[in-house]
Amino acid sequence: MSRRDGGRLPTPVRRLIEPFVDRTVAERVLISVAAIALSIAVGFAIVLVSGRIAECSAAAWTMPVTGLGFCYDPFEVYAVLFNGALGYPLAVGEPGVFNPSWTPFNLSFGLTLSETTLLIFTGLSVAVAFRAGLFNIGTQGQLVVGALATALTVLALAPLLPAGPVSGVALVVVGTLAGAVGGGLWGAIPGALKAYADANEVITTIMLNFVAANVAYVLVLEVFRAEGSSVVATRYVPEYAQFTPWLFPGSSDFALLALAVGTAFIGALYYLVEHTPFGYDLRTSGVQAAAAEYGGVDAKLTTVRAMTLSGALGGVGGAVWVLMSEGRWIASVPDLGFDGITVSILAGNNPLGVLPAAFLFGILKGGALEIGFRTNVPTELVGVLRGLIILFVAMPEFFRMAGRYAGLGSSGPGGPETTEDDSDGSGDDDGTTDGAVATAEGGETDA
Amino acid sequence: MRNPLADVPVPILDDLIDDDYVRSLVVGVVGTLGALGLLGVAFPDSIAGDLAGIVFSTGTAASTARLAAPIVLAGLGGIFAEKSGVINIGLEGLLIISAFASVYIASVIGSGNALLGVPAIWVGFLAGIVASTLLAGVFAVVCIEFKADQIIAGLAVWLIALGLAPFMSTVFFGGVNTPNLGASVGWRYSAAMVVVATAASWWTLNRTAFGKHLRASGENPKALDTVGVSVSRVRYAGVLISGVLSGVGGSALALSIGQFVGSGETMVQGKGFIAIVAYLFGNYNPLGTLGAGVLFAGLDATQIRLQQLGYAIPDTLVQTIPYVVVIVVLALVGRTRIPAAAGDHYETEE
Repeated sequence: MSRRDGGRLPTPVRRLIEPFVDRTVAERVLISVAAIALSIAVGFAIVLVSGRIAECSAAAWTMPVTGLGFCYDPFEVYAVLFNGALGYPLAVGEPGVFNPSWTPFNLSFGLTLSETTLLIFTGLSVAVAFRAGLFNIGTQGQLVVGALATALTVLALAPLLPAGPVSGVALVVVGTLAGAVGGGLWGAIPGALKAYADANEVITTIMLNFVAANVAYVLVLEVFRAEGSSVVATRYVPEYAQFTPWLFPGSSDFALLALAVGTAFIGALYYLVEHTPFGYDLRTSGVQAAAAEYGGVDAKLTTVRAMTLSGALGGVGGAVWVLMSEGRWIASVPDLGFDGITVSILAGNNPLGVLPAAFLFGILKGGALEIGFRTNVPTELVGVLRGLIILFVAMPEFFRMAGRYAGLGSSGPGGPETTEDDSDGSGDDDGTTDGAVATAEGGETDA
Repeated sequence: MRNPLADVPVPILDDLIDDDYVRSLVVGVVGTLGALGLLGVAFPDSIAGDLAGIVFSTGTAASTARLAAPIVLAGLGGIFAEKSGVINIGLEGLLIISAFASVYIASVIGSGNALLGVPAIWVGFLAGIVASTLLAGVFAVVCIEFKADQIIAGLAVWLIALGLAPFMSTVFFGGVNTPNLGASVGWRYSAAMVVVATAASWWTLNRTAFGKHLRASGENPKALDTVGVSVSRVRYAGVLISGVLSGVGGSALALSIGQFVGSGETMVQGKGFIAIVAYLFGNYNPLGTLGAGVLFAGLDATQIRLQQLGYAIPDTLVQTIPYVVVIVVLALVGRTRIPAAAGDHYETEE
C-alpha cells in the first residue's frame, strides 16, 4: 500500500510515523487541520481586501514593501480571536509575553467553554445520525423543541416543589430528560418518514427545522409568553433549577458540571457506537444498508432509533441551553444545531473528535465577541470562517491531490481510491470509481 | 449497436403517472380558487368574501409576483443542477449573495446614474447574477473536481453567503442592512422574468439535445459518457445555470425593495429552501415549480393582506404551511423521485 518510490517525505520519518497512527484517522485529522489552516488563510485575504475597500481615517496596518494602507489589521484580528477567546493569556501588544494576571476562570474563556459545551451536544447529535448513514440537518429544530419542552416542564414542576438545592437537582434532571424526550420525538419523525415512507431525510429535516421554529414561536407568543416581556420568551426558570457556575463568573453562562456531562456523553457515545450491538447495527447500516439487512439488521428500525437518539441529543443540547445559558426559552435561538453539523463534519463524525472540534468552534464564537470589542472588523467574519471550514472539510479529494502533489499522499495516483469519506449520507458508497454502473441501475436511493 | 440514451428513463411530462400528478396539482389549485371565487360572490360579507377580495386583487397579485420570483427562479435553477446529477442545496446562499451584490453595485454607481447607458439598478441586477454564478462556479468545482459531498458543500455555500453578505454590508455601509436605494424594480418585471424563465426552462429541458444530456447525466452518466458527451461538462453547465437563475431571483428580490436586509436569516429568509420544496412539489417540472412557487408566495401575500384587514392569524403559522405540505407530499404522495445518479460522483474511464 505504501508508496516508497514516489514519496518525497524521507523514509525514516515515514517509518517512524506509520506504526503509530491508523491511516484513515490520521488522514481525517490531517484534512481537518489543513481545512482550518486554509480557511484562516482565505479569511486573512478577505480581511485584507475588505480593509482596502472600507473607508477609515487612519490605516490600521500597512503592508511591508508596497506601503499600501489597510483599514483592518489581519494579524490583529486573529491574535484577538484566539487570544481573546481564552481571556488573553498572552499580554496584548507584547507578542510572546505571558499575561501574569491571567487565570483560566475568566469571563471570555467561560463564554468560549459555554459555547463548547452546547456544541458538544449538537455535534454528537449530528455525528450519531451520520454514522447510521443519515444526514440530520434537523438538529436545530430538535434543539428548539427540546429546549421548549425543558423550559415548560421545569416551569410547570417548580411551584410543586419546595425551593432549594435538592429540588433544584431534581428539576435539572427532569428538565433535561424532558428535553431529550421532546428532541427525540421530533427527531423520530424524519426517521420514521425515511424508514417507512422513503422520504429523503435531508429535505424533511430542513422542513422540520422551519416547522419547529415557527410552531414554538407561535406557542410561546400566544400561550406561554412571560407577562410584560418585550421579547417572545417564557418566564425564567428558578435560579436554583439552573446549572450553577462554579469558579467561572456567573455572567459567562458556563457551568463546569455541564461540560463534564458533555464529556461523559462523548465517552458514552463512543462506547455505544464502537462497542455495542446497537452501535454495530448503526455503523453497518450506515456503510452499506443492503449488506446490513443480509446480516440480520433491521435497517428500518435502526434508522428510526438512530434519528431518535440523534434528536434526543439535540434536545439535551436545548435543555442545557435553557438551564445553563439563557435561563428561559427565547425566540432568538442561536444556530447551535447548524454549527453542530460543522462540528461533526470537522470531527470526521467520530464522537471523540467532537470535543476538539466543539472547542475550536467555541473559540471562534468566544473570539467573535472580542473582535467586536477590540477591533473594527465586523464580527460576521467568523460566520464566513465557519462556512469556509465546512467547505474545505467537504473536499478531502482536494487535500489528497495536494498531498499527492507534495508526495505525501496515502494512495498512489492509480491506486484504489480510499472510501473512508463516509460523509456522503445514505448513497451507495462504492460510487467512486467503478460504482457508476451499479448506482445507475439500482439507484432508487431516496424518495 | 443500440443507442444507450434510449435506456434513459424520460421523466415527468412524458410519463403518464407523473403527468397525472402535475395535472391534479393544477386542477386542485384552479378548483380551490374557483370555489373561493364562487363563495366570495355568494357571500360577500363573510370571510370567504374578504378572502376572495384579497386573492383576486391586483395588490395581492403584485406582492405574489414579488415574493414568487426568488422562489420560482431558484427552483428552476435547482432543477437544472439536480437533473444533471448535482444536488444544489445551496440555492439559499446563491439568493443571499445575489441580493446583496445587486444592491451594493447599484449603490456604488448611484441610483440616478447610468453605466454605459444602462441604469444603475439594471447594472446592479447583472452584478447580482454574476455574483451568484461565481459562487455556483465555486460550488461546481468543489463538487465535480474535488468530489466533495454535495450536501455538505451546498450547506457551506449557504453558510458562506450567510456570513459574507452581512460582513460586506458592514464593511461598506456600517451595518448589516444596506441603506435604501430609493429606486426599485417593478413587480411586472419580476412577473415577466418568472414567466420567461419558466417557459425557457421547460423548452430547454424537454425539447433540446442539451436537456436530454442533462437528464442522462443525472440518470445514467455512464450512458452519456458512452456516446461521447462529457459528464463533467454537462454537470458544470447544470450548476452554472442554477447560479444564473438564482442570481436573477436574488436580484429581483432585493431590487424590488431597493435594499438588502442582512439581520438574522437575511431578507431571503429561507426562500432558497422553499425553492427546493417548490421544485420537489412540482416534481422537477418547470410548470409544476411555477405553480408551487406561486401557490406558496400567494399564501404569504394573502396572509399579509388578511393581517391588514384585522384577522388575527399568526403569520408564522401561515408561513409554516409550505414546509408541512412538502413533508406530507414526500411521505404520502411519494411521486417525486430524485435522479438516479444525483449525489454521486462520476469518474470518466479513459
